[in-house]
Amino acid sequence: MRLLLTRLRQYRLIAALEATSLVGEDSLFIIQFIFRFLRVVVLLSLWRVILTGRGPTDGLTLEALLTYTLIQEVFSDQLIPRTDIEWALHDGGITMRFLQPLGLVSQFTAQMVGRWAFGFVFFSLPLLLAAPLLGVNPLPANLASGGLFLLSLTLTIAVGVALEFIFAALLSYLEGSAYIVSRVRTAITLLFSGAVVPLALMPWGLGEIFRWLPFASMASAPLQIYIGVGDPLLLLATQAAWSVGLWWLARWLWEVSRERLVAYGG
Amino acid sequence: MAARYMRRLFALWCMYAWLDLMWVTRSFQSFVLYFCGETIVAIAALSSTLLLAERFNGLGPWSKPQLIFMLGYAALVFGLLDMFFGFNVLFIGRRLGRGQFDHTLVQPQPIWLALLTDGFNPFGASGPFLTGIILISWANSFLLLTPTLMWLFLFVLNVVSSVSVVLSVSFFWGSLAFFAPRAAEEINTPLLRMFDHLKLFPLDGLSAGMVSGLLTAVPVGFIAWYPCRALLGLDSAWHAPYLTPLAALGFGLLASKLFIQGMRHYERIGSQRYRAMGHRG
Repeated sequence: MRLLLTRLRQYRLIAALEATSLVGEDSLFIIQFIFRFLRVVVLLSLWRVILTGRGPTDGLTLEALLTYTLIQEVFSDQLIPRTDIEWALHDGGITMRFLQPLGLVSQFTAQMVGRWAFGFVFFSLPLLLAAPLLGVNPLPANLASGGLFLLSLTLTIAVGVALEFIFAALLSYLEGSAYIVSRVRTAITLLFSGAVVPLALMPWGLGEIFRWLPFASMASAPLQIYIGVGDPLLLLATQAAWSVGLWWLARWLWEVSRERLVAYGG
Repeated sequence: MAARYMRRLFALWCMYAWLDLMWVTRSFQSFVLYFCGETIVAIAALSSTLLLAERFNGLGPWSKPQLIFMLGYAALVFGLLDMFFGFNVLFIGRRLGRGQFDHTLVQPQPIWLALLTDGFNPFGASGPFLTGIILISWANSFLLLTPTLMWLFLFVLNVVSSVSVVLSVSFFWGSLAFFAPRAAEEINTPLLRMFDHLKLFPLDGLSAGMVSGLLTAVPVGFIAWYPCRALLGLDSAWHAPYLTPLAALGFGLLASKLFIQGMRHYERIGSQRYRAMGHRG
């Protein structure tokens, strides 16, 4: 019990350090939240242009879609979690992580959670409060949906962090560019996860294919649960299955590529 | 004098193109990874709007082919920015904030000439540019445009103007790094990321106030939406094709003014920071 409390305190300290360093390193960080807010306004208006005057499209009403878009933006850091491990590989900072008396995954996860703090205070909360002004209902479909969303969000983070370590292991094994791997990963995740366009609205039945990929367990599953679309138990089970499978794969790939990490420049 | 500078400009472009070609051929694996990666990023970025256009057979007043044209135009503009202003010339805040501007100042040539040529990488960064060309050609096979010489002139003028608008706004914000090197080092990143996301959507459904804001304070509308409206005849006003070039002129003047002010500040203060990463100079 004492060990657990000590560990939690250590993770909290890492998270707090990361959160405060963000302000020290980038004191104009508020600007990026203004730019993100503008993006939300444009996306919401786009959905209105597309769906106003239409009935429900593939089970999605305009109201549900606006909530989907708003909540995706509010929880974007959690829905597409980034540990930035590829940059630690790139600049050699990963070696310092190995010297610390904490697990690698927990260090990067604590740091990631620390980065979320300011985004949540300066962007997510204001956006939630401004939702009525934007003509969007920010509430979940019902109380159960709200509760299951939180559970689903936890599984999303587990899937996302596993994918981070899988890409990092491949990066060190193939000795690729952190820059390009990071950009490609973000781009395909945004597309395949249903973060920008819900999978149900994709043409040619692409959504039916994408929903079985691990990326769909990131944004699409929790957001569907939030707006009350789809079978929550099936969505949660799929997320749990991907989480277990991907963590097994991440662990194996990390073991295989660990020796090459030294050669990579750490 | 002007002819001498033009010769120098082309000589430097040729030299940097050669350096880029050397990088491509010497490390072919890196090039293939980089090229394919950037092309995947460009296509994935455009996919959201393409998928929506296919699903709903257009968006608002925009037909599917017109949207493809707009996406191609947007990809072309960002492709040109990548090709001509790579190595953090577009992200000028990084060069200034990292104390790397001295690399440019010590060169025996005008600053504008260095900035115009320093980031030229026509082979390595050609993926998004080629994506834009392909999309515009694809759109044209549906739109059946029969471009006159005047239309082609306006097309090129608008593309160059859109590039200038993005570059000017980037320099305007990036110039803050003269005054606050550490804080503004990454100021171009959220700005360009927002441009990158919003360039893909038609702004027709927004309120008049929002559209005005997106054409002035944060001029994302001039990247593709407004010039394409003009070029495709969605805005029939006679002055429509000339508004983007005018905007480019205005934003260019503003950016120059702030950059020059920043330079004066830099002449007195200099930079106490230096980070060696991410430049060619």
